[in-house]
Amino acid sequence: MTKRANLFIIVGICLIGFLLISYQSKGFLNFNKLDISIVISPFQYMKNFFYETLKLREENRHLKEQLYQMLLQQKSYHELIEENKRLKSLLNLKEKRKEVVSIAKVIRVGSNKFFKTFWIDKGLEQGVKVGMPVITLNGLAGKIIFTSANFSEVLSLTDPNFSVSVRVERTRVEGVVSGTGTNICVLKYIPLEEDVAVGDILITSGTDGIFPEGIKVGVVKKIERKKGFFQHIEVLPYQSETKIEEVAIVKNLI
Amino acid sequence: MNLVIKWFILASFAFLLEQLITIDGITLNFSFLLIFLFVIHYFFPDIEQKKIAPSELLPILFFLIIGLVEDLFQGIIGPSIISKTITGYLLILLIKQLFFHWTELFKAVIICLFTMIDELIYSFIMIYFFNISVGYAMLLKTSLIKALVNIPFGLILSWKKP
Repeated sequence: MTKRANLFIIVGICLIGFLLISYQSKGFLNFNKLDISIVISPFQYMKNFFYETLKLREENRHLKEQLYQMLLQQKSYHELIEENKRLKSLLNLKEKRKEVVSIAKVIRVGSNKFFKTFWIDKGLEQGVKVGMPVITLNGLAGKIIFTSANFSEVLSLTDPNFSVSVRVERTRVEGVVSGTGTNICVLKYIPLEEDVAVGDILITSGTDGIFPEGIKVGVVKKIERKKGFFQHIEVLPYQSETKIEEVAIVKNLI
Repeated sequence: MNLVIKWFILASFAFLLEQLITIDGITLNFSFLLIFLFVIHYFFPDIEQKKIAPSELLPILFFLIIGLVEDLFQGIIGPSIISKTITGYLLILLIKQLFFHWTELFKAVIICLFTMIDELIYSFIMIYFFNISVGYAMLLKTSLIKALVNIPFGLILSWKKP
């Protein structure tokens, strides 16, 4: 085989590759992702087992503390919920319920080359669908981007391709939170004159039609008022992506 | 047949590790190591063979298969096939230049450089065709981490070769 023939083969492979890619990018062609979670999960469980055993005692103590605190708060919350329901019915507002589809365990992180993702042990058979929001007890964690029978891949909140419409809890100003690829997110489209301060809490606004409103997203960490129309605001997510162990998949609004 | 089984096991192990291990959320690129090892073993065999100039068709086929498997894991067919084929062929061209001394340091530089080339080709294809948002500094950082991780593994696996 001559060098020229080899070059022709290489060019041929590249051309076919580019052809396939362009068809896929336009959406004319789709290939299913090869899911080897069944093969990987035993190894991952083994890896996690030792780590979790070490943490168990400390976690148990922490949970007991939390339980007592929750019990104390529960009574007042119950009264508030009842009051809220009564007021909403007076104003004729419909209650949007957040329905949990399933609770899942994180089995591994980041098998995707480009996106910041993690895998959970629930899939289509448990009612999980692409696009569903994923939350933890701390706040928003991401959304489902791929599902197989018993496993799903979640796009993390901190990925640059992730966006969620949010509201500043204190001033009700609305914007969009996007990931940056680091452990910090940015709050976009907040005009210069709007009142946002460091420490402000951001919650989902529900206006994107994907995420139900009221889920905690993050807290404002840094604000820069540069030239232009919008403020540059850094947000620290409530849920650190490295500490996610268990998540809840919530029904999306659409 | 034994060689096919050996490479099949090695490739399966590499892909398994690639799926299992991440560093701060960054996936690793062990599939390039397969290409590097294959090229090294193919063009510098243990036993002196009769073939003076071995065919390049078999390595190209190997690059194609490795790229295809990697693409199947990502759900997009094409980018890895292209990046692995181009990087692999560049590696063949380099290996055929007889004036290089294949010291361990030279091998380390080659593993680092070619892993980065592979990653950058893949990334630019994805950014261009799928409009994926990624910062260029972050891209360089992740490519460099993957390249640096590949160095010790590559050196151990290709010890005293060629």
